[in-house]
Amino acid sequence: MNKILTPKEEELLKALKDVIDPELMVNIVDLGLVYDLTIDEEKKTVNIDLTLTSPGCPLGDMITEDTRQMTDSVLPGYEIDIKLVWNPPWSFEMMTEDGRNALYRR
Amino acid sequence: MQQLASQNAPSPGVVVPHFIFGAVVWLCVTILIISFPGAFVQHYFNPRLLSITHLLALGWITMIIFGALYQLVPVILEIKLFSEKLSVTSFVSLAIGCILISVSFWKFQFSGMMHAGATFAVIAVSLFAVNIFATARNSAKKTIERKFILTSVVWLVFTVSAGMTLAINLSSPFLEVSHLELLKLHAHAGIVGWFMQLIIGVSSKLIPMFIVSHHLNENKLRISYYLINIGLLSFIISLFLEYTPGVLFGVILVVAGISFFLSFVYEAYKKRVKRNLDLGMKQSMIAFLMLLIPVLLSLVFVSELWDTGKLTIPLAVAYGSTIFIGFITSLIMGQTYKTLPFIIWLKVYRGKVGKGKLPFPKDLYSEKLADFQLWTFIPGFATLIVGIILLNKIIVTISGILLLISVSIYFFNLMKIILHKPITLHE
Repeated sequence: MNKILTPKEEELLKALKDVIDPELMVNIVDLGLVYDLTIDEEKKTVNIDLTLTSPGCPLGDMITEDTRQMTDSVLPGYEIDIKLVWNPPWSFEMMTEDGRNALYRR
Repeated sequence: MQQLASQNAPSPGVVVPHFIFGAVVWLCVTILIISFPGAFVQHYFNPRLLSITHLLALGWITMIIFGALYQLVPVILEIKLFSEKLSVTSFVSLAIGCILISVSFWKFQFSGMMHAGATFAVIAVSLFAVNIFATARNSAKKTIERKFILTSVVWLVFTVSAGMTLAINLSSPFLEVSHLELLKLHAHAGIVGWFMQLIIGVSSKLIPMFIVSHHLNENKLRISYYLINIGLLSFIISLFLEYTPGVLFGVILVVAGISFFLSFVYEAYKKRVKRNLDLGMKQSMIAFLMLLIPVLLSLVFVSELWDTGKLTIPLAVAYGSTIFIGFITSLIMGQTYKTLPFIIWLKVYRGKVGKGKLPFPKDLYSEKLADFQLWTFIPGFATLIVGIILLNKIIVTISGILLLISVSIYFFNLMKIILHKPITLHE
C-alpha cells in the first residue's frame, strides 16, 4: 500500500495482521493482500480493497469474513465495505520482507 | 465482480460419497494384493489382474476424480456446477458398473453381467460428460486448463465405449484385430487421454495455486496439449491398423508432451514462494517423479533398443502398476489432503467465520498419521515393483501389507475429516 495512513488506519492494519491465509499460514498484511484501506471518521465507514493470491483461491470466504470481523472488533459501529479486487493481480513482489521470511521458513 | 470459489462450491453430499466409495475400493484392492499376489506375477491378461485394474481405474481413480472435479471445476472455471442431480445419478451408476465389471472379470465371464456393468459405466460417464460440458459452456474462462479437462472427458467417453465394444467382442467376436492390441488401445485411451490429460488440466491450475508460483511459461502446456493429443490419435489408429511406425511416432509425441508438462511442474516448483511443501504437496511431487518410470518404460517397449526378453511381461505389469498404484494413487492420496478438508470445513463452518477462532482446514486430520501413511506407501509401492520384476509372490504380499497399512491410515484420516464436528478454539 503506497499511501500515508492515519493513526487509526495504522491501528486497523496492525490488527489485520491477525487474519491468516490458511493455505500459506501467513497474515494477509504481510502477504500484501490488502491493497487499500480508508477510514472516513465523519461518515463512520471503512473501505478495504482486498485481493487473493489466486482468483480461484477457495478460501476467499474465510479471509474476507475474518477481515470483516477483525475490522468490526477494532472499529465497532463503523460501516464496513470489503471489495475483492483482481487488478493488479497479486504477485510475490507485493509481500513484505516479514511475509517472505515467514514463507521461506514454512 | 468475480465470484469467490467457495460461493460456487457444490453441496458436500455430491462430493463426499465419491471419496468414501473410492477409499473403500482402494482398501479392498490392497487386501486382494495380499490374498492373491499371483495376479501380479503372470501375464497381465489374467482374470484377477484385469479385475483389480478395473477396480482401481473405475472404483478408485475415476470415482475420486469425478467427486473432486465436481468441487474443482467450479474453482477452475469460476462457475457453479450445472447439475447436482446428474452427479448423484452418475455416482450410483458408476458404483454399480464398477462392481459388475470387476466381478465379471474375476469370474472371467463376458456375457450378461459384464454387458450390464459396461452399460452402467457408459451411463455414468455420459451423465458426467453432460454435466461437465454444460458447466463449461456457461463459463467465460477459455484457458488451457479448460481445454485439457474437456478433451480428457471426450477421451473418457471414447475409453468406456471402447471398453464396452471389447466386452461384446469377447463374448461374440466381430473384430479382426488381436484382442491384446485392442486392450492396449482401450488402456491407453484411458491412461493418457483421460487420466493424464485430466491430471494436467487440474494440476496446472492447482499446483501453482497451492505452492504459490507465478509468471510460469504456459506455452509449455499448450505444446503439451497438442503433442499428447496428436500422439495419442496416431498411437490408437496405428494400433488398430497394426502399423508399427505409427505406434512409435505416437508414443514419442506423447512422451514429449508429458515431458513439457513435467517441465511446467518443475518450473512451478523452482519458482514457488512457499518453500516447504506440506504433506499433500510432498506426496503429489513424489507422484510426478514416479511418472518418469512408465514414461521411460514406454520408450523401452516401442524402441526395441533393449531386448527385454523374459522381462517383457513383468515389465508390462510393472508399467501398469506404476501408473495406477504409483503415480495416480500417490497423487490422489496427496491431493485428498488439499481438497477434502476444505470441502468439509466449508460445510461445517460456513456462517461461523469471524465469530471466534476456528480451526484451519488442515486441523481436520492428523498430520502425523498422514506422514506415516506416506512413508508406508513409498516402500509398499517399491516392493510391489520389485516383487513383479522378480516374479516373487512373497515380496508382492509384503508390498500388499505395507499398502494396506498406508490405505488404512488414509481411510482413518478421510473419515476423521468427513465426520468432523464444529469446534471453536480459544486463544
